[in-house]
Amino acid sequence: MTITLPGTAPLPKRKTRRARRRFNFDTSLGRAVLQAAAVIGFFALWEIGVRAGWISAFLVGSPFGIFADGSKMLMSGDLVSDTWYTLFEAILGFVIGTIFGSLLGLALWYSAFVARLVEPFIVAINSVPKIALAPIVVLWFGTGLVSKVMLSVSLTAIVALIAAYQAAKDADVDLQSLMISMGADKHQVFFKAVVPSTLPSIIATFRINIGFGLVGAVVGEFISSQRGLGHLIYTASSLYDLNTVWVGLFTLMIMGFVLYYVIDIIERTSLPWKQSNTVHQVQV
Amino acid sequence: MQPSPIQLSVRNVRKSFHGKAGEVRVLDDLSFDINARDFVSIIGPSGCGKTTIFNVIAGLIEPDSGSMHYLGEEIDSLRGRVGYMMQKDLLFPWRTVLGNVLLGLETRGVDRVEAEGKAREYLKGFGLAGFENAYPKTLSGGMRQRVALIRTLIMDPDILLLDEPFSALDYQTRLYLEGVLKDAVETYHKTVILVTHDIDEAVALSKRVVVLSGRPARVKIVHDIDISASSPIAARSDSRFSGYFHALCAELDIQTEKTA
Repeated sequence: MTITLPGTAPLPKRKTRRARRRFNFDTSLGRAVLQAAAVIGFFALWEIGVRAGWISAFLVGSPFGIFADGSKMLMSGDLVSDTWYTLFEAILGFVIGTIFGSLLGLALWYSAFVARLVEPFIVAINSVPKIALAPIVVLWFGTGLVSKVMLSVSLTAIVALIAAYQAAKDADVDLQSLMISMGADKHQVFFKAVVPSTLPSIIATFRINIGFGLVGAVVGEFISSQRGLGHLIYTASSLYDLNTVWVGLFTLMIMGFVLYYVIDIIERTSLPWKQSNTVHQVQV
Repeated sequence: MQPSPIQLSVRNVRKSFHGKAGEVRVLDDLSFDINARDFVSIIGPSGCGKTTIFNVIAGLIEPDSGSMHYLGEEIDSLRGRVGYMMQKDLLFPWRTVLGNVLLGLETRGVDRVEAEGKAREYLKGFGLAGFENAYPKTLSGGMRQRVALIRTLIMDPDILLLDEPFSALDYQTRLYLEGVLKDAVETYHKTVILVTHDIDEAVALSKRVVVLSGRPARVKIVHDIDISASSPIAARSDSRFSGYFHALCAELDIQTEKTA
């Protein structure tokens, strides 16, 4: 006898085998195929558009032109040296800014009074678009490496500072109470309970900050420099050499892409205790 | 039973908190004594300030007035000398089991090698050998609370303050851990104050039960529990268990018989 209650959902029917024979695109191979097809299609349309005269090669460049320019620059070694230069500035700015900002943010945990006192100033500094500082930074630190690194530092430090301070404020009070009941002093509570619990938040800022590190380096190079991808893009665009501009942009894109995955690996390996268990998603 | 010396004496402690709704009196002229090697349970209506008592004893908050004496000597608090265990196991997620057990000894500045040897010995004694390098996340609730108990005991505290340590666990695990606790307390000769809302647990474990009134908390009555059973489970089948249970329920104004 079947009992049917009002409002009960029907039981899921067993899926027929026939439906599974089709190629499943939601696998790493399937996705790669679709992604590659999108990229190739995009460049093919672009090239065809330029050759057919629909769009102006002068204003947008052309894939073949970009490829020709890129390989020439790669051979001469200019592209490689510009890439390393910008990468070095970005990473240096990122590392210094993140460490400096995090330490400052953590230090604010020590005195609630000082923290409350400086909070509006932090908000004020954060609300200034740091890029607007670029001309002054160049004026102060010259047209070389230092001004780009300083610009990156100014962008990354504030992000790290706010994240570290917030995380320190949010650190589990019960863990701190437990340590105090054990007779721990403020330093011990700070280093054993507060600092470790802020690490996930601080590491989470790496992802944002590596991008800001690159922004600082490139904008610094725009303002004034003799080297780097920002310099390459800026001078090429003032000469209407669009293919070279694209070479610079694509190189930056690849750089950002690689850095993103490096950060991803750091994130996943640096906190073994946070390793999440695999979640199996139910197919609907 | 020969009288034991008074280990901790709490006298006339008052504490109020200032909330949005004005002043809330949590402890009002609270006094009680804890004998050496006593096992005292504190029960009372929820929110009556049981945790506040512990926070005062542990030195996490200062009372507005009142005093405490430890073995006859006046003290501010027992900070650094209590073993505080809460409902949440409060294991540090970034530390391994061994690292968590070592926390207190590290804080005290005990030599690393010596501390580690002691920690491994304790872990073995509590059946957690082989889990030294596991992170808390991978353990069951009962195992986590056992690690928390070891972390507490290894400090050799003067008094254990247990704030509903088993209330988040399932009944079977709770019964098992009650036994582990009772054995450990006897092995290491500890004095215990247990806050619980579980009357059954209070009767099965304690030598004395302090019943508090609702907020502000005052001692309503103290019951001596005269059951000398070998384990908390055996205590539950003692002929006097039911009598104590109903007496305490009555003190807490819980209706235990149907009034038809």
